[in-house]
Amino acid sequence: MNVAVMKTKSEQTLSLQAAERIPTLPGDKDVRRAREAALAVFEAAGLPHRRIEEWKYTDLRALLKDAASVTPQRSSDVDSKLFDLTGTKAATYVFVDGRLITKPKDHTIAGVTVASFSDEVSKNPALLAIELPETVDAGARSVIALNSALASDGAVITIAAGAAPERPIHLVFIASGAVAVRNVIVAGADSESTVVETHVSPTGAARQENAVSDVTLARGATLHHVVRTEAHEGSAALAQYLVRVCAGAHYKPFQLTSGGGLSRQQLTLTFAEQHASLDFSAVALARGAGHVDTTLVVDHAVPHCTSRELFKTVLDDRARGIFQGKVIVAPNAQKTDGKQMAQALMLSPDAEFDSKPELEIYADDVVCGHGTTSAELDPDLLFYCESRGIPEVEARALLIESFVGEAVEKIENEALRDALMSYATAWLRSAA
Amino acid sequence: MLEIKNLHVKLADEDRVILKGLSLKVPKGEVHAIMGPNGSGKSTLAYVLAGRDGYEVTEGDIHWNGESILEMPPDERAAKGVFLAFQYPMEIPGVAGLTFLRTATNALRKKRGEPELTTPAFMKLVKEKGDKLNIDIEMLKRPVNVGFSGGEKKRSEILQMALLEPTLCVLDETDSGLDIDALRIVSDGVNALRSKDRAFLVITHYQRLLNHIVPDKVHVLADGKIQKSGGKELALELEKAGYAGFTGKAA
Repeated sequence: MNVAVMKTKSEQTLSLQAAERIPTLPGDKDVRRAREAALAVFEAAGLPHRRIEEWKYTDLRALLKDAASVTPQRSSDVDSKLFDLTGTKAATYVFVDGRLITKPKDHTIAGVTVASFSDEVSKNPALLAIELPETVDAGARSVIALNSALASDGAVITIAAGAAPERPIHLVFIASGAVAVRNVIVAGADSESTVVETHVSPTGAARQENAVSDVTLARGATLHHVVRTEAHEGSAALAQYLVRVCAGAHYKPFQLTSGGGLSRQQLTLTFAEQHASLDFSAVALARGAGHVDTTLVVDHAVPHCTSRELFKTVLDDRARGIFQGKVIVAPNAQKTDGKQMAQALMLSPDAEFDSKPELEIYADDVVCGHGTTSAELDPDLLFYCESRGIPEVEARALLIESFVGEAVEKIENEALRDALMSYATAWLRSAA
Repeated sequence: MLEIKNLHVKLADEDRVILKGLSLKVPKGEVHAIMGPNGSGKSTLAYVLAGRDGYEVTEGDIHWNGESILEMPPDERAAKGVFLAFQYPMEIPGVAGLTFLRTATNALRKKRGEPELTTPAFMKLVKEKGDKLNIDIEMLKRPVNVGFSGGEKKRSEILQMALLEPTLCVLDETDSGLDIDALRIVSDGVNALRSKDRAFLVITHYQRLLNHIVPDKVHVLADGKIQKSGGKELALELEKAGYAGFTGKAA
């Protein structure tokens, strides 16, 4: 039975907003036409809902009851404490409500170019289009289409072949309302670089962010891609990472997501050529009525690639954590080596963790495995710590931080690792 | 002085009664051994002294230095000087040994009104105490007890004891799983801590450990009560005759 689905209130608002905004967004008439076409794709599909398998646990039709309004761009008066990465010497680009407002004073880094998406898309309309692999689900396609319709800015980063900049490139996205940002990252052959994204909003702001990062690693490239996202109560952060990895390249993402609001971090990665690897670790922290969703699709389309994933989720109060990890091994992708682990620490009996690892293996000479656990803090370990004089509150914090620390440890840049661990610790120790 | 008065303990979740009127006094400066067959309540006594959840004291009291410790949480007891060397020390993945030791040392110093140790001072102390127990600093950079052998775990317990400077040391089957060499290292570590200000309660199943840690008194615990007390020679008698006389059956 095919029934036309009624549009939800937020879908209607999103359509109206988009129709109004598109003429004001960067790009020539070709871009405008492409945006309108993308909007039509979104309008046909609507927000992802529970009948789309990949969005079963994150039904945006139900969760996004109201579409946030578009906030006019605020002043450059932003609180740098929201995104500080002291000690990392990062070159920081700050985007407020979907517009680049500050560049680093010393922004020339050898081998690195960072341009604004709004400038680039005006010069090159083709930049708006993203080629989506088949592994992107229908819900994500709709969200990405909405992003194409509305993307106002973002960063276009090019790392030159062979370049190995020491300083991380730091993109900061602060928003108070509805915003769509688009990043394009191209890591040149044999380069090694670190790109950090920080997605935050002022406390209390009804921010709804739709971020898409289009990432390509050329042969032999190594990209450390560190993302920290805060979605506090009443705000939502949706992110799609589309990653294509060429021969011998190594993609090393780390994600720290925290909050009492709604977040969905979805990474779709394709091994396009052999001998490449993915080393992904992530930490999700939620309390209150927080909803943190980490979804991953790895397509081992070719032989001899390695994927490693470690996900740590800490849930308190009524928070809900979702982990979906699909690994597809194509019939010819022999010698694939894939291992996945998702662990949740439940601090409250009312919290919920839904874990859905999926292995689709069509080749016969592969090593693939996955594991998932969900547990409370071990009372025996707590007693052991307390018997050594460590007060219960501190003992709990020590054990939770050690749980999270195992994933944060994967960040190779020491200053960056310390900074991310500090954010995780501060969040864990902040009052509920 | 440790004074246990007519202690009755049952499991919190079950009706099973484990200690049935245990009384015991251990003055400061003395080492007392508790020996007994399996299931006599030895480990329960150790856990109840340290304040572990899951036990219910239905009668009696435990005084340490004239003060009841029964209502205190484990960390408060530790601050009062109580230390339990575990029969099975816990592994804590993700917490480096040094971090754990420093957190515990400074938490106790804070509670005892002493200044926290600086990192260099702490490292010097760990190295000094660790050397005596054959514990390399590298071993302490690894997560607490993870991947340690039985002997390494027991040595790490004694190192904690040496660093935390307790005044009431309860050793729960510290000899289990130790070979002769490890037994000597651990015993030497314990003996080095013997002093007139410290009381020891050494719980063991075998007499072997008491050749190395020579007790002032030996108590036989069976069926939840102290059945007999005597000098160190009592341990030798038990080694010969077994616990049969106290339980009515061969142990």
